Amino acid sequence: MSGRRYAFALGLALAALALAPAQAARKSDRDKLPSIRVQDLHYGEVLFQFYSGQELQALTELEAFSQWQRMPHHSADADLLAGGLYLQLGMHNEAGARFERLLSNNVPAGVRNRAWFYLAKIWYERGYYERAEQAIGRIQGPLGGELDAERVHLLVNALMRQQRFDDAIALLKGWRGSSDWMAYASFNLGVALVRAGRLAEADPILSSVGTLNTDSAELLNLRDKANLALGFAYLQADQSDKARIPLERVRLNGPYSSRALLGDGWARAALGDYRGALTPWLELRQRNLLDAAVQESFLAVPYAFGKLNAGAQSADYYERALSSFASESDNLDGAIGHIQEGHMLDELLGEDKDARYGWFWQLKALPNAPQSRYLYAVLADNDFQEGLKNYRDMSYLSSTLRHWDDSMQAFAAMIETRQRAYAERLPRADALLGSDRPAKLRDRRAAVGSQLDAVETGNDAPALGTPDERAQWGNVARLEEQLAAVPPSLERDAARDKLRLIKGVLYWRLDAAFKARDYEQRRSLRELDAALEELQNRWVRVQQARQTVPNDTGEFAARIAALAERIHSVRERLAQASEQQNQYLESVAEAELRAQKQRLDAYALQARFALADIYDRGADQGQGATAPAPPPAPSPVPEPK
Amino acid sequence: MNSFISKQFPMNTMSRRLLRMLWPLIVVPLTAPALAADAVAAPSTAAADASSGAAAPAAPAADATGTTRSLDEGIQNLKKDVVDLNKDLFVLEEELLFPANTQVAVFVSMDVGDFFALDSITLKVDNHDVSNYLYTPREVAALLKGGVQRLYVGNLKSGDHELVAFFKGKGPHERYYQRAASIHFEKGVGAKYLELKITDHERAQQPEFEIKDWE
Repeated sequence: MSGRRYAFALGLALAALALAPAQAARKSDRDKLPSIRVQDLHYGEVLFQFYSGQELQALTELEAFSQWQRMPHHSADADLLAGGLYLQLGMHNEAGARFERLLSNNVPAGVRNRAWFYLAKIWYERGYYERAEQAIGRIQGPLGGELDAERVHLLVNALMRQQRFDDAIALLKGWRGSSDWMAYASFNLGVALVRAGRLAEADPILSSVGTLNTDSAELLNLRDKANLALGFAYLQADQSDKARIPLERVRLNGPYSSRALLGDGWARAALGDYRGALTPWLELRQRNLLDAAVQESFLAVPYAFGKLNAGAQSADYYERALSSFASESDNLDGAIGHIQEGHMLDELLGEDKDARYGWFWQLKALPNAPQSRYLYAVLADNDFQEGLKNYRDMSYLSSTLRHWDDSMQAFAAMIETRQRAYAERLPRADALLGSDRPAKLRDRRAAVGSQLDAVETGNDAPALGTPDERAQWGNVARLEEQLAAVPPSLERDAARDKLRLIKGVLYWRLDAAFKARDYEQRRSLRELDAALEELQNRWVRVQQARQTVPNDTGEFAARIAALAERIHSVRERLAQASEQQNQYLESVAEAELRAQKQRLDAYALQARFALADIYDRGADQGQGATAPAPPPAPSPVPEPK
Repeated sequence: MNSFISKQFPMNTMSRRLLRMLWPLIVVPLTAPALAADAVAAPSTAAADASSGAAAPAAPAADATGTTRSLDEGIQNLKKDVVDLNKDLFVLEEELLFPANTQVAVFVSMDVGDFFALDSITLKVDNHDVSNYLYTPREVAALLKGGVQRLYVGNLKSGDHELVAFFKGKGPHERYYQRAASIHFEKGVGAKYLELKITDHERAQQPEFEIKDWE
């Protein structure tokens, strides 16, 4: 299964984990998780980042929003998602701790079991087999579907990695599953039996896998693998006759054919059939010299010719082997030198270096570099890939912190500007705050309120008249006073009647409008009260700001300085760890290339000895010696780790 | 030379020597549990396909040595420190740039999406352009899966304000589609959250756009 598909599958699983609301009602339907209804916008934002593939940003926001308590309705979902994100970012220890804390309560059993299952797989991948076994042990009840079969096989693999073959055998012997899974179970059982030294029991089991009738590419590979394993087990047990049968069942165009051809040849040779051994070995000799089996065939072929007394042909093949080995050895020297220059990882990662990160990333293409063709074996190694991911993650994280470093400088400048602006505005603010203007305004408002109360109490309609009306009312009052001073007369009486009529009309108008005007005044007063309240709030805020701004800016400045220091420190640690990782991976690659070279050199040495032997025997024959002795068999050579 | 080689490799033990030589090759398929791990990996592909996203075991792992484990543990701790630091920096940035008493955040959510394929959203606050965002297919997919995007974060003083959002994309029948939605809102003392909701109106066979004020 490709890394991407696995990532997607696990991504779905994580999403399912995170999206599973912890509701008791769903316990009856534990494997069917409904889609989520986001109740906190910030949790939705975290999901958006997660679904967009921005795992680090999602995790950062998740932790920040949790700190601010902005996701009160999704706290359980958020914790589960955090565990999943830590997994995706390769921090399985933290993820494991989170899951252990979280998966104990209020989580549907199906979800909890799946979480442990995926956690077990991640730990297995990272080589933590004991932890993987423990996590599988935390699963209670069936997982459902194919996952139960996967769980058993994961446990079997974890046991075998710990050399606990008898436990693995016991587990597999009683297990039954679908036909596909049974093939893998049989294979695993056969391998475990071989590893436990029970070859006779392993034979029928591995043979059943090795004779599978299938068109599936995966099962065909499994079939080849079973045959190869059984064949070599028999070779190891000095039963070459039995080894040939499974080895000849391996497909010629499959990934295991080179080793099978080599083994088949040795099985025939061990039985004395050197002519027969030449058939697979000559076929093998046409293949890529980087393959250890092919390299060995370069010696095996002349060895067989020698055994068949074809000295000239044997010598010719040894000469050609020497030439090929020497050329390849020179290439390896060049590649080792290139690695020692220290740019291997940057070349491997290329432009991809800072682009992405995450546990599921995998290097899929090798750069066009001298060492590339020799590194396939190294890159196939899980440790190397894990190391490469770590190196790449650290490179990405370092670039993220570099951006933050730039931001810190901008933030520091911003704080400095704020402090300067505060100092400039402080005298004006202090003058304003010292004026006590809100209290004065409140006094004025109280006076106005009292006035209105008096108007209402005295039903003083003219007090609420328009300016014209109040002027007219004043004129009427003035005229009344003047008329009171005039001696009685008919004219005065007429004028007083007229004035009384005018006053009556005027008052009638004022009285008619009084209620509405009083309501308006009251409304205005309420608006004034609201404005005064807002004013008071602002006043308090300004007072608080006057007190807190220096502390706030000071606190921000301190935080910025502390964080800048942490960035500096962590970046240094990242650089050191990257360098360590770089050195480690380069040493692994170099060791692999040196082992390849050592193997070639050892083969070359054997070829030279064999060649010298042939020439010796030729010389002996020329001097009338007796029948030539057979050439020596190739000796064992060290195998790369 | 002949006698030396003969002593080194006596012919009567050839088979044993062959097997010693082949042992490294035997080691690969048998002594390393990688084979077994491979075996698990393969069927799980089908299993994953058949069981709606159930993940399968991945490639085999070599034994983790003490050195690599210690290095890996160290790197994990370092990564955790980076994540913590990143969070603290994020918190600082938001508290410094968008304090709660002035913060306004605009979120985008999308439901179903049968009648509208989102291309871009333009935001105006009080008649000023504040955001013009072009969506990638991945982001649209993230919205459709239930993600809610925090499209805009800014600062506004207390009082009345207006937000206008312009949605552009493909509407029904693959036609270019542009709609606007607006809301008047009051910014108080705390942070203000507004949600642009894009939903399908089944009866009208049209998309709907509304803005929700999260009190």
